[in-house]
Amino acid sequence: MEKARGLMRREGLGAVVLEGGTSLFYFTGARWQAGERILAWVLPAKGDPLVVAAQADAAKAQSVVRISGEVRTYEKDDAYEKLAQALKDRGAGSRIGIEERVRFAVYDGLRKQMPGAEFAGADAVTAGCRMIKSPAEIALLQRANDITIEAYKAAFATLREGMTQRELSGNIAAAYRALGVSGNAMAIFGKYTAFPHGSIEPQTLREGDLVLVDDGCSVEGYESDITRTMIFGKPTARQVQVWNVERKAQDAALAAAKPGAACESVDAAARKVITDAGFGPGYKVPGLPHRTGHGIGLDGHEWTYLVKGNTTPLAPGMCFSDEPTIAIYGEFGVRLEDCMYITESGARMFTKQSPAIDQPFG
Amino acid sequence: MKEFGLQAVVLEPGPAMQYLTGVRWGKSERTFAVVLPAKGDPVWVLPGFEEMRARELIHLGKDDIRVWQEDESPYARIVEGLRDRGAAGPGNRVGIDEAARFFVFDGIRKLAPQLEFSGAAQVLHAAGADQAQGAGRGGGR
Repeated sequence: MEKARGLMRREGLGAVVLEGGTSLFYFTGARWQAGERILAWVLPAKGDPLVVAAQADAAKAQSVVRISGEVRTYEKDDAYEKLAQALKDRGAGSRIGIEERVRFAVYDGLRKQMPGAEFAGADAVTAGCRMIKSPAEIALLQRANDITIEAYKAAFATLREGMTQRELSGNIAAAYRALGVSGNAMAIFGKYTAFPHGSIEPQTLREGDLVLVDDGCSVEGYESDITRTMIFGKPTARQVQVWNVERKAQDAALAAAKPGAACESVDAAARKVITDAGFGPGYKVPGLPHRTGHGIGLDGHEWTYLVKGNTTPLAPGMCFSDEPTIAIYGEFGVRLEDCMYITESGARMFTKQSPAIDQPFG
Repeated sequence: MKEFGLQAVVLEPGPAMQYLTGVRWGKSERTFAVVLPAKGDPVWVLPGFEEMRARELIHLGKDDIRVWQEDESPYARIVEGLRDRGAAGPGNRVGIDEAARFFVFDGIRKLAPQLEFSGAAQVLHAAGADQAQGAGRGGGR
């Protein structure tokens, strides 16, 4: 919280307003889904935090302030009046930060109560804190990644001719349940592997199809995200060649992810391998149609991103996915995704990369 | 919209989008939105690499799908869509999905400070699209 306050001062924000969600969990440990009744948490630059909740949620709201702060309740239609009063009492001034996922309705309610105030995105504060993971957070991410590999191993053992993509997804979900976590996966077969997020078309597994599985699980709120692409049966020379380019691209991003390097340089390193192999350029398909990676933590995708235009320097404690895709519409796609964390001496993968098209696990 | 003095409504994925367009999409950090103008056809704004998957789902307004690439601004596309539908002039009023996330609204207003923004709840209510508007966050990992 002290770090957040320092960032607020730098950004000229008198307070940050959050609703339930991952940022609230990050700062308070309270799990609260934003719902119909407004619950807002205020972190002021000075003074104790406080929560504004409906009378009916007063007991639950205590969990939000168990570390410090106070609960203020509202009766019926005065949620925003109470919230504005709370900001005033904490001397928040006229420049208020709004967490990125706060709903428009909440912002709109508040601005009507504070017509002179300016409301700005609070990403520099919330992401500024969340981007750098502590050793405890990295340990939780490690556990989530380890479990995902185990679930994929179990599910890949069930591959059989004629299987639907839904059945494979179901088997991965079942493996997660058996491992004591909740998680899901997207499964894609054959030519639909070229769509990074799959297709609604029903698919059944045939000899010679590529199988792509992507997603993760959650451990104490911390997310994993792993993709494997493997051959079912015998691969063609073309499938092997593209798979090997993909693996080289993933390696190139890993090698480029050194502390101090700009985020965009990691994307450029992976993209160069793919472009040099005759794909692209840029986001053109056949090629790599999206960024190389995203931050990961309490959200599966979070700040900051390995994308062209992002000059943020990498720093120890940052965690990213490394997942260039090679998409060839009409043929197939290959994506290998492992997550990495940045250390003083470079990036380290949480998991062993896939060594070959017929060996998803290292 | 005409009744409530709005020139357009911008929706993020969620119950209102699903009710009015039939498109069910998970909210993610990548902006996916539809501009529903008071006059003219809808404009869809979505990530370039999702175009193929989105085209499987979009039927209403499928002739105007505008994509943004990963290093481009989705908000520039949304504001262009508003402009092309005559909804981005000075003093025009645009309704925002009450469940839309602040960063989406913030991105739009920075590029179109001449607009007035208000909640779209009344319009969506009158259109019958607010049955499940309580939840602020959709699925999608």
